[in-house]
Amino acid sequence: MSVRYALLGLLAQQPRHGYELRAAFEAVIGGKANWDVRPAQVYASLERQAEAGLIRQRSVGKAGGPEKRVYGLTAAGRKELQAWLEAETERAPEHDEFFLKLMIALATGAAQPRDMIHVQRTALYRRLHAVTARRQATDPKTSLAHVLLLDQAVMHLEADLHWLDMIEARLDEVRRQPLPRPAPRRRGRPPGAEVPSQIRDDG
Amino acid sequence: MPAVVTENLTKIYGAADASVTALDHVSLAVEPGEFVAVMGPSGCGKSTLLHLIGGLDRPTAGRVLLDGHDLSTLDDEAMSVLRRRNIGFVFQFYNLIPVLNAQENAALPLLLDGIPAERARSAATQWLERFELGGRQLHRPDQLSGGQQQRVAIARALVAEPTLILADEPTGNLDSQAADQIAALLGRVSREWGRTVLIVTHDPRIAAQADRIVFLKDGHVVDQTILERRDEGNIEIVADAMKRLTT
Repeated sequence: MSVRYALLGLLAQQPRHGYELRAAFEAVIGGKANWDVRPAQVYASLERQAEAGLIRQRSVGKAGGPEKRVYGLTAAGRKELQAWLEAETERAPEHDEFFLKLMIALATGAAQPRDMIHVQRTALYRRLHAVTARRQATDPKTSLAHVLLLDQAVMHLEADLHWLDMIEARLDEVRRQPLPRPAPRRRGRPPGAEVPSQIRDDG
Repeated sequence: MPAVVTENLTKIYGAADASVTALDHVSLAVEPGEFVAVMGPSGCGKSTLLHLIGGLDRPTAGRVLLDGHDLSTLDDEAMSVLRRRNIGFVFQFYNLIPVLNAQENAALPLLLDGIPAERARSAATQWLERFELGGRQLHRPDQLSGGQQQRVAIARALVAEPTLILADEPTGNLDSQAADQIAALLGRVSREWGRTVLIVTHDPRIAAQADRIVFLKDGHVVDQTILERRDEGNIEIVADAMKRLTT
């Protein structure tokens, strides 16, 4: 969703053709490693937004070369962009797969939670090591914005590691509690519901 | 030859019913130039491990070998000399002398070893300049930020050109930004200046700089994680350790 608004923003900066837009997006986000947008996604978004009247397109021919489509922002597109920038940003709800795995392991006994925690902790530390190395290789004098983005990745990984420590510390307590079970299904009609006429006893 | 070896290292405090086993048959090896982070919950024995490796305390059982030398064969004076020349210590609360300036603090290990003052100060200046403190050499600790004080402490740890750096929660008393800088600096101590670095820490940012993380719990090694394979020796050490853990 936010990619389409980012494209509007990059067009507010200057008109661009599709390839330039994708390259500009990659530059602003700090590289493919942070957010990879496929060309098909960019062009599909541009078409939809053109249909919605948010962007305009014109063909530009180069002498001896193929025609290129250059995109620009309309007044409606500028208004849409502004509304997005000024609105609160909601975080997409996260479904934590590790939590799910842990509950299934506890329910089935098919894996040892402590072994799973070890595997997860190893993976998180390796990711943290890799992100830290990237952060150190990014020059804060020229790319401070990207350093801040990598800081966010570091903080999330630290929080995940802290959470793993908490789970490990309380695992025995969790085990002593009964596993969550679905509520029993209620049979019969809900209270206050009318009995259908064909089965009502009228006589 | 590994830079550090511990063999069945055990430390028990107290006696009889009131005894506490802080470290229980811990065996590990650290290769020259390796950066190892030791992590674990409070009370797991990690600081005890560091103190035994640094010769600041004696084990109840087992032994420590530094560059092949068994610490148990050294008397107090020989141990003191080894600590001064071969090991650099970095602590959580910097432990700088308030009345000395940064240069004097950093030069202290050399001065205590009888090195002429001019040579000692020159060596200290070199390290302080590497740590971007060249312009603050004449500042006393109370005129420096926490991060700057810790950098002076690390310069002091390196001034005698030891091969081994031991650090106990070096970022524990620092704000987030200073902690990041110290973590990166300690990474350089290993990668750029080739020292063996062993750090006890709660801080994942420090651990992220390491080649390997050793996890302690209740005085035992319970896990090891390799973050970066710098040479074959790294893999062998972990394989041996995991074998011991499972037998």
